[in-house]
Amino acid sequence: MTAMSDLAWLTVADAADLLRTKKLSPVEYTKALIARAERHDKHYNAYLRATPDLAMEDARRAEAEILRGEWRGPFHGVPYGLKDIVDYAGLPTTAHSKILQDNVAKADAVVTQKLRAAGGVFMGKLSTHEFATGGPSFDLPWPPARNPWNRDHFCGGSSSGSGAATAAGFLPAAIGTDTGGSVRNPASMCGVIGMKPTYGLVSRRGVVPLSYSLDHVGTLTRTVRDNALMLDLIAGHDAQDPGSTNRATGGYTAALGRDIKDLRVGVLRHFYTRDMQADAEITAGIESTVQKLAELGAVVSEVSTAPLGEYLACNRTILTSEAFAVHEKWMRERPQDYGALARERLMGGAFIRAADYVNATRLRRKLTEAFHALFAEVDVIVTASSMDPACRIDDAKAVDYTYGRQSRAPFNVTGSPALSVPTGFTQSGLPLAMQLVGKPFSEALLYRVAYAYEQATPWVNMHPNLI
Amino acid sequence: MANDNLTVDDVRKLAADIGMTRLTEAHLQELLRATNAARARRATLHNDTLTYADEPAHVFSLNAGDMK
Repeated sequence: MTAMSDLAWLTVADAADLLRTKKLSPVEYTKALIARAERHDKHYNAYLRATPDLAMEDARRAEAEILRGEWRGPFHGVPYGLKDIVDYAGLPTTAHSKILQDNVAKADAVVTQKLRAAGGVFMGKLSTHEFATGGPSFDLPWPPARNPWNRDHFCGGSSSGSGAATAAGFLPAAIGTDTGGSVRNPASMCGVIGMKPTYGLVSRRGVVPLSYSLDHVGTLTRTVRDNALMLDLIAGHDAQDPGSTNRATGGYTAALGRDIKDLRVGVLRHFYTRDMQADAEITAGIESTVQKLAELGAVVSEVSTAPLGEYLACNRTILTSEAFAVHEKWMRERPQDYGALARERLMGGAFIRAADYVNATRLRRKLTEAFHALFAEVDVIVTASSMDPACRIDDAKAVDYTYGRQSRAPFNVTGSPALSVPTGFTQSGLPLAMQLVGKPFSEALLYRVAYAYEQATPWVNMHPNLI
Repeated sequence: MANDNLTVDDVRKLAADIGMTRLTEAHLQELLRATNAARARRATLHNDTLTYADEPAHVFSLNAGDMK
């Protein structure tokens, strides 16, 4: 277990076993991943700011502690990265924007504190769309991340670098954020697992806001188990985050390996067949997944809810209103310092009427109550994530067309946990994906279903060939 | 809405009213597109389904300790 390619695809769970039993050195592991990123990332731009010196410090500290028998847990000595809207004390949090390029964080975000306390090895800050909304953009101080499966293609966003770095084998786990689908989009486009947990489950303190009532911090990993391990680590109440829940958290790996016999799976088909028409390969991937879940013993039925467009309009009205409140001062003083895409998307909130914002929040409550009522009939819902495979990153028309063709934002509106899971590949070799959605705080159940599917299919063992 | 068909001069004035006076002509075109898109989105929000009893998803509340 010393070849660089083996270390690149090591899971958090396997790495933890090897590190704990001293069969793998955190220093050697970290060196291998730093070397891999130094060799390949110039083609993918997953890192906005790699921090190899900090990584080696963390790795050496972890090695000394583990050798002394002071193993802290599954992330001790394991590399991770942070989307660059998440604070790491002493480093700039740029939000991939000229506006914040000198914004040095005074303290760690809560998720950073937890990863550091667990002995994780911090590899660096990862690319995002500007302020988690404007991208992919070529008019910013840093280039956009590219898709490891084909660098000419978009890797999704806004947690672009988190998805790209994880898929590329630069690190096994990354933190992203999700306001209208920004963990699940790069997870879908890059063929990795992406969890947007229940609203309030993970503290947002120390994370640059996009939209206070829709923002979620989430996890991107290559396997379901790793994702559950990371959520176990970062979930928990934070009295200083006004949206934080004080409900007990954890135990997300507990149900992995349990069968899904008789579990009730609802397919939310009208989102991707009637409200929007998904690409044929996306649809085929979801249908094949549903069939596999049935073969594994799930009881499949179809469910329906309000049209996708109502959820999307609700999400965008709230998101752009709240985001403009964050950005109004900079829009007055420094509009030229934004990239064109972020500026246009953020200015969309400038003249939304107060009544429209309030009515969107009223509709949100109705949509949420109606959606949660579906879980009287089913345990888990399957639906599309993106309606299209990753388009070319340099095709502005295709990016614009596909940007809003998604069914992730509904679950920011409802606050439901939603997990992006790979379902295979297009004929041209780009990842396909679906979403599993549950009632609030049902993350362990989503992981159980995703794990059963992952173990029954070959996708988790497939990795991109980097240039 | 009387002002559904905004022009760039309309948004220039609206922007100036809230202190956004540094926008270039290109920025104003972006603002025009964004504002028109937001207004079009309004039509898809089914406010007609709301009754006066339908409260927002988030309302302010005080903890018991805050009342002291």
